[in-house]
Amino acid sequence: MSNIIIILAIFGWAILTYIAFRLNKTLGNIFVGLIAVALPVYYFTYVPEDYSFQVMGLTLQFGFTSFSSLFAILVVILGALTLLYSIPYMNKKDRLGWFYLNFLFSIGGMLGILMSKDFVSLFIFWEIMTWSSYLIVIFSGKKVNKVGVKYMVYSAIGAYAMLMAIVLINKWSGTTNISHFFETFADYSNGAKILSSLLLLTAFAVKSALMPLHVWAPNAYTNSPMSYTSLFSGALSKMGIYGMALVAIMLYTNTGMKFFGEALAWLGAITAVLATFWAVFQTDIRKLLAYSSIGQLGYIAVGLGIGTELGVMAALFLALLHGLFKGILFMAAGAIEYRTGKTDFSELRGLIWKMPVTFFSALVAIIALAGMPPLSGLISKWLIYEALLSSEHYFLIILIFLSSTAAFLYCFHFLYGVFLGQREDDIEDVKEAPALMLVPMVLMSFGLLALGTFPGLIFKHISSSMSYLGFNDVTWEMSVLTNEWGNKIYLTHLNTMFMVVFAVFFVIITLVARKKTRRVGTKDIANAGEPILAEDNYHFSQDFYKPFWRVISPVMKYRIETFYNSFANGIGEFFQFFRRVYTGNGQTYALYVVIFLTILFIVGATLI
Amino acid sequence: MDIWKLLLTGSVTTVLAFVVGMLYMGLRRKITARVQNRVGPPIYQNFLDVMKLWSKKSSINHGFMQHVAPLWMIATSITTLMFIPILNNGSTFFTNLTFEGDLIMLLYLMVVGSLGMALGAGQTGNPNSAIGVTRGLTQMVGFEIPWVMALVALMIQHRTTTVAGLLDVQVQSGTWLMLSSPFAFIAALLAIPGMFRYSPFDIVGAPAELASGPISEFGGKYLGTMMTNGAIFAFVKLTLFVDIFMGGASNLGFLLLKTFALYMFPVLWGLVSPRFRTEQAVRFFWGWPVFFGVLGLIQAAI
Amino acid sequence: MVADPILYVALPLLTAFLLPIIGKINKELIRIVPGLLFAFLVYNSIALFSKVSATHTPIIVEIAGWAPPIGINLVYSSFTGFIATIISVLALLVWAYSYKFKKLEFDNSLKYFVLLMLVTAGSIGVILTGDLFNQFVFLEIVALSSYPLVAFYRGRNGAEASFKYLLVGGFASLSILLGIVLIYSQLGTLNMADIAAHIDEMPRNIKIVSFTLLFLGFAIEAEMFPLNGWAPDTYSQAPGPIGAVFAGMTAKAGIYALIRMIYTIFDFSGAFEILLIMGVITLVVSEGIALRQENLKRMLAYSSLGQMGLLMIAFGINTKTAVIAGMLILFNHAVIKSLLFLSSSFLVYNSKDKLIKDAYGMGKKLPLTAILFGIGAFAIVGLPPFSGFWGKLYLLMASADANLLGLIALILAVSVIEIVYYFRVVNGVYFKKSKTEIEVHKPRWNASLAMIILAAAIIVVGIYPNIIYDYLVNAADTLLDKASYISHVLPNLASN
Repeated sequence: MSNIIIILAIFGWAILTYIAFRLNKTLGNIFVGLIAVALPVYYFTYVPEDYSFQVMGLTLQFGFTSFSSLFAILVVILGALTLLYSIPYMNKKDRLGWFYLNFLFSIGGMLGILMSKDFVSLFIFWEIMTWSSYLIVIFSGKKVNKVGVKYMVYSAIGAYAMLMAIVLINKWSGTTNISHFFETFADYSNGAKILSSLLLLTAFAVKSALMPLHVWAPNAYTNSPMSYTSLFSGALSKMGIYGMALVAIMLYTNTGMKFFGEALAWLGAITAVLATFWAVFQTDIRKLLAYSSIGQLGYIAVGLGIGTELGVMAALFLALLHGLFKGILFMAAGAIEYRTGKTDFSELRGLIWKMPVTFFSALVAIIALAGMPPLSGLISKWLIYEALLSSEHYFLIILIFLSSTAAFLYCFHFLYGVFLGQREDDIEDVKEAPALMLVPMVLMSFGLLALGTFPGLIFKHISSSMSYLGFNDVTWEMSVLTNEWGNKIYLTHLNTMFMVVFAVFFVIITLVARKKTRRVGTKDIANAGEPILAEDNYHFSQDFYKPFWRVISPVMKYRIETFYNSFANGIGEFFQFFRRVYTGNGQTYALYVVIFLTILFIVGATLI
Repeated sequence: MDIWKLLLTGSVTTVLAFVVGMLYMGLRRKITARVQNRVGPPIYQNFLDVMKLWSKKSSINHGFMQHVAPLWMIATSITTLMFIPILNNGSTFFTNLTFEGDLIMLLYLMVVGSLGMALGAGQTGNPNSAIGVTRGLTQMVGFEIPWVMALVALMIQHRTTTVAGLLDVQVQSGTWLMLSSPFAFIAALLAIPGMFRYSPFDIVGAPAELASGPISEFGGKYLGTMMTNGAIFAFVKLTLFVDIFMGGASNLGFLLLKTFALYMFPVLWGLVSPRFRTEQAVRFFWGWPVFFGVLGLIQAAI
Repeated sequence: MVADPILYVALPLLTAFLLPIIGKINKELIRIVPGLLFAFLVYNSIALFSKVSATHTPIIVEIAGWAPPIGINLVYSSFTGFIATIISVLALLVWAYSYKFKKLEFDNSLKYFVLLMLVTAGSIGVILTGDLFNQFVFLEIVALSSYPLVAFYRGRNGAEASFKYLLVGGFASLSILLGIVLIYSQLGTLNMADIAAHIDEMPRNIKIVSFTLLFLGFAIEAEMFPLNGWAPDTYSQAPGPIGAVFAGMTAKAGIYALIRMIYTIFDFSGAFEILLIMGVITLVVSEGIALRQENLKRMLAYSSLGQMGLLMIAFGINTKTAVIAGMLILFNHAVIKSLLFLSSSFLVYNSKDKLIKDAYGMGKKLPLTAILFGIGAFAIVGLPPFSGFWGKLYLLMASADANLLGLIALILAVSVIEIVYYFRVVNGVYFKKSKTEIEVHKPRWNASLAMIILAAAIIVVGIYPNIIYDYLVNAADTLLDKASYISHVLPNLASN
């Protein structure tokens, strides 16, 4: 069976699901569940086969490469889990058929991108992915123009940059085949090299929300239903990373244009720092996670930009990992929204007592995000630092460190603001999220836990996919990390040590304190001797990190968005001026005709 | 890896760290008292405090995260301790897991405890705790930067990321890194008071403002565990710094000498300085320490 | 059944004259007969076009037995046939759509269908004819039947728009006529092929003057900036389906005349550059103005002008890829813009000012129409898998081949502007609440069917463009091969 069938099957299934939902909601949900199960099963059992055909005189070619299949794994797994999660999450909403139609279209679009071996089909699927995700961004019907059109416009800028690159590549290489482009790239003139690679980079940078092209992302992530945002941030943005990796490695690192790789790395680092700073000051959990996503994607860009083996390893590992933990976090945000209807820190508190499983998953994800042992986040962080150290990026590493230290701030804010703090009566009716929403989160948490000690499980795939990019296929041990200077860390020892000590003390303190512990509510606290009344709540939710804001506010004043907006307005005003040409007066139009005729005569007499 | 040997040496190291840390903290109380013209508690007072806390009959608990927070912290401290070389003479007794980790990992490992603490403090519902945590995290963003700058400079210059590797460099060349890389040393040294959270950087606990902040709801065994942890962690920080910048120590006597000398720096500074506000602390760390850190990086780059 | 190019022109004209009489027999026939006629034209197109595609030789019809260059002839080639087919299909769809159009009373209905047939006959005539003066006549038929269509509702605005059109259209007629006169005075012939063959014999100055005059006249009909001031008014004032007619037929007739003149009749290479530059200006200005339009119809009209600009660019680049792109854009413009006009007129059916905000909230009230409008919007901005994408891709490829990097960037930048204003409307239709309560008029099944067919064409061609690719290549080859045009029309000339 050829590759393209899987895509067509998904699109076809999307339409069937739409019809099913028109008939009956339960039937529709069954359809969604079926594809969620079928997707991974089909993907991991079928034998890939290349396929190509002619359209409009262009050859479209399909087939996975060892590199793209790495991302396909992420898409398939995360796609299946988010679909499952969607079933209860979206159940109360209307227009479900429309939602799943676009959901499946974007999954199909993503797989299509990864399957494309030529630029035209890449672009087609890229655009299908874009508009289907756009339709989900505006699905809620809120802020459709402010958020939706903005998303579409930035996506279009990216996509059209790609389109321009494609037609130029078609001219210079004579074909739109991707690998042929990489092969002939060395023969391009310098201008052509720079132009084509920068255009492609722009296209991919938009999708992966690299500053200064990130402006659409926070709102788009926030505005779409959380079940989709999991996929959006977790997998869809990785399509940008996929392309960026190809550009950074195949075009920059492998052809000696290191300067551009460095620039990409610096952009990534700046993105990581600024996005993290913004995330720290968000008051909406969804926005916090959105900015955090942008920051994480910045790290990935750093790894790709420096282009050493460890760097790319780190980037790809983080790309997969980010899919998992950001998937969990957005799902957790969705679960909270589903049960409480609130997403603002000022309205949420104390959910740990009501949603312990959600809390556990979110905690695991946050630890992974922060990069702390014993979870897999440490590995991604470690790889990226080692890569930066061994390639002697003195200042880049400081930026990255600043960003990941500042990330602790929002990590705590998220956990504290939502799950901890002073409990209030308004959460008494809140229940734990439905099982079908918890299962994906818990599954992914276990994934993070497993990878924390045994990253070799996925290193094997990453390493073999990196051979496509021209790196050696290095064999990594199951749980030992080695840097370029031969320094190692033994994850089993680290994690076992930590967990054993923890367990020993846990047993001791639990046993010793078993009977003597007095369990009290969160209002029974030391408060200078003054009891807290039932109607008071001392939960700390306003002006979180105010001191930190005072420190960095000089930097945060400048927002690129303001500049873009005034630029867009400027264009609008510019054309307002042209509107005056159309006066609505017939005499003026007649005058134009005469003037045009005169000019034409003059031009004709001189030029022709 | 001989598990029984690790168990033995690990326990001995932990006890050593605990005792030394406790004594240092007792000394600090004594010194502070003498400077303030008081008699002060005996040096072993902290041992008594911990014993008292452990033997307290009841403890108040607000929830699961509070329950695990102290464990989380002490697990972190002890794990970190295992990865730090105590002596530089290649003695196998204090090796523990020294060769199985590196500095980057340690940097991250050392903050795990803070996260546990933060979550535990958050669950108590005391607003002072949460405010203290946010202050602590903010301050951390401040002092980590010069500290990491110093470490990065050394790591790249000597092309190793392990503590043992940096120790080897110093043993072989016979020069302490604080002398060969003075700028990095100054940057790191200035970051030390932030780590110890002594005045002027005691903004997390801030007795007069936050009623001891994050730990205000912890009592009994929880507080006892935390104090134990504090002692071990102080030893961890001091030893790590001595290993990196001051050539380590070939025997326990030197180790005590060097760590104590280093410990006196934040202690004495604290005696003469009033408390910073949070943003002042961050600005301080991002001022001169970062400047020296940059110089250190430039020195390493050249 | 017979199929002959002459029927394209003769039958509609005949029916238009007979329709009042037929109406006396039965009022229903006024509506039915035009439909039968258009259906026949579609059949005629399919029959002829398949023949032409199979043989790759144009069908030349000599009217009244006089052989060219003296007699008038019709040339049905892969190129002209393609456009004629689009127009006849479009006419059938517009008829289906307008059948029992609510605002038509009996009298109006007669007038409406008569004018529709005349516009169709005129537009196809412009495209098929091989005679310059004959082309002028057909163009006049188009113009004269367009004027009353613009003022169809007898309102003040309609009359004003119609008058503007008349005024500028008068200039066009005058200018074309003068150009023809000049050519005739020099060469003594009106046959295009004959003129093309002997164009070298004209003095350079007169050649330039006649070229300029013809260019001006045709450019007005092709809605080139700054000669298109009349167009937005006419589009917005005419009845809904007539917007589709203007975009799909009359504008096509104008651009065809322009292309034919530049490609075949004259031999100025600089003319392509003028067309290209004017296309760029038209594109940028029109799309820019559309950006802030508040009137839905005017927005579509400006967007339509922008598409005409794209067409001019495509034909101005003058390479084979570019001409293929031009044909694709021509097809897309006819199909997509018609769909947009047809669906939008239901969205703002009862609104007085046809404002965009009057269409707010129609997504719920008119789900089918709204989704069709949405498909049209997605297609016109060039999103795959809709047909608009391929036109844009080909145009960009042609620009790249011609080394026009700036042009690529410009076209794409303008596409971004297009996205902004189209998506705003689509979002508004679905998600905004209308402030004023406007009565909704639901499309009848026939109107829905017409729109669905257009949407289906957009999607089918978008997914599987190979379906029309061969025709496009043939059409491009035919247009570019000037020598074979002359030799087919004037077989004797070559032997002489």
